Amino acid sequence: MGILGLSKLIADVAPSAVKENEIKNFFGRKVAVDASMSLYQFLVAVRQEGQMLTTADGETTSHLMGFFYRTIRMVENGIKPVYVFDGKPPTMKGGELAKRKERREEAQKALEKAEEAGNAEDVEKFSRRLVKVTKTHTEEAKTLLRLMGIPYVEAPCEAEAQCAALAKAGKVYGVATEDMDALTFGTPILLRHMTFSEARKMPIKEFHLSRVLEGLELKQEEFIDMCILLGCDYCDSIKGVGPKRAIELIRSHKSLESVVKQLDPKKYPVPEDWPFAEARNLFIEPEVTDPADIELKWSEPQEEKLVEFMCEEKGFSEERIRNGIKKLTKARNSSTQGRLDSFFKVLPSPNSNANKRKSEEKPGAAKKARGGRGKFGKAR
Amino acid sequence: MFEARLVKGSLLKNVLDAIKDLLKQASWDCADSGIQLQAMDSSHVSLVSVNLKAEGFDKYRCDRNLIMGMDLSSMSKILKCAANDDIITMKAQDNADTVTFMFESPNQEKVSDYEMKLMNLDQEHLGIPETQYACVVKMPSAEFARICRDLSNFGESICIACTKEGIKFYAAGDIGTANIKLAQTTSVDKEDAVIIDLQEPVTLTFSCHYLNMFIKATPLSQQVSLSMSPDVPLVVEYTIHDLGHIQYFLAPKIGENDS
Repeated sequence: MGILGLSKLIADVAPSAVKENEIKNFFGRKVAVDASMSLYQFLVAVRQEGQMLTTADGETTSHLMGFFYRTIRMVENGIKPVYVFDGKPPTMKGGELAKRKERREEAQKALEKAEEAGNAEDVEKFSRRLVKVTKTHTEEAKTLLRLMGIPYVEAPCEAEAQCAALAKAGKVYGVATEDMDALTFGTPILLRHMTFSEARKMPIKEFHLSRVLEGLELKQEEFIDMCILLGCDYCDSIKGVGPKRAIELIRSHKSLESVVKQLDPKKYPVPEDWPFAEARNLFIEPEVTDPADIELKWSEPQEEKLVEFMCEEKGFSEERIRNGIKKLTKARNSSTQGRLDSFFKVLPSPNSNANKRKSEEKPGAAKKARGGRGKFGKAR
Repeated sequence: MFEARLVKGSLLKNVLDAIKDLLKQASWDCADSGIQLQAMDSSHVSLVSVNLKAEGFDKYRCDRNLIMGMDLSSMSKILKCAANDDIITMKAQDNADTVTFMFESPNQEKVSDYEMKLMNLDQEHLGIPETQYACVVKMPSAEFARICRDLSNFGESICIACTKEGIKFYAAGDIGTANIKLAQTTSVDKEDAVIIDLQEPVTLTFSCHYLNMFIKATPLSQQVSLSMSPDVPLVVEYTIHDLGHIQYFLAPKIGENDS
């Protein structure tokens, strides 16, 4: 689910850390995509008349549709995606997962009510909330990617953490996810809206961690502590401490330990048994596969097998799948345009903070992005 | 106080025509030695570097270093208001947030003033290392422009191959292929000559789209120079007589591999 209100905070306090860019400007970049988030996103968003796409037998195929076309979109734009799947959830996420289960149950009840009342809009809304990613979905997505010649990585634990490790090791340029906690895991560059559909015309939002830290005037460890204060997946936050206070507290006290000591327990009750140190550890040293052991290889799509899987098994139109494969092969075989910034080094700019006029328009844009997140963010 | 006066105002108009399609916004760095501009296009494939020397202006004064961020399409609109034989003067106060363009007709009967807002741009500056290029070709700029335009009808990219015999341009596409060979000339007429300075043969492929943007600088100079080395960006340079130069850097296209 990410970090509560982090993107808004960054937009407000460190606007120069966020850049908007068209997808076509990312050509030649390798990008790690948080597959678990994408799976969920596709199941929620790829629909027809509010219903998930299914085969004749009622098997869901929304996710395959999403993976197939959005991957092609990236490849056509010269991007080399590598998908990273979640492993087992960390034990500390138990509380968060229980909460999500509770919310699902609530949604289930609400759905029944809406169905009774015949309120179509609500039925659609709540059925979207009930979406659950199953093992089959994941396995099918992996099969599809394998046949398309797109590499994927199975993370031992959280996918975001693995993505961050890949980006930190320079294996990929950035991480495409909607989850802001990829930044907390230390992703140097986070890309939002990468897996959105063409039709939405959403520009890619690029978050640069170094500039985020510069803008917030925090070190990475302090940033992690602030994220925990804002509210992460691993432990509760302190009631009454919002984004503004969180950043002030960390700026003046530097670490959660001293924040806890300084806080007035009557005004801001620290949760009993608050395992913030463990949560912090999860962010600093998450369980990941060493990026040096991961080999990323993009290969030729296997046309016949893809057709067999997508058309015969899953009932997609053969013509469309073949067209898609053609696009994939064409993009693979055309020579790629080199990037100038890979030849010449960017010099540190002396006036990165003198960004007054540009920053004025940012908060509005950030609000829009938050609105979008409500619908399409991850809420397992 | 910053002030730069150019009697041959059309030069500034030409400079802007040469960069405004590639860059939407850019910062002009004004210093005692002259005016410079360096910026990448939004896709980070090409880079433009403009250098206008202080001595090239008819009057030049820059008391404090000044960075003027401008919207180049707005600047171009303003410069379009100047006649080709107008004298152009750029003026700005220290720490100002506007710049003034003054156009004077040659007989001093008409004077127009345009003021434009400046912007704070967050731009990345690239450090360009001094490079010894494997081959440097000098050729008539109009010839180069013609070749780029012609070949872009055939394909998305142009392959440039340079040997000691001459320089070859090649493009291929759906309708067929196109090949243009230019031999090194021996003629004494400097401006028409094709001169090749070669250390080793080079073959590189470049996008037509960007080359066609670069040739907008053709009116600035009779001659263009192309510098190439294997696997590094191409440099297309136009010298602006007595005033400075424009350089374009273009990243080559890379053959597909799996790494």
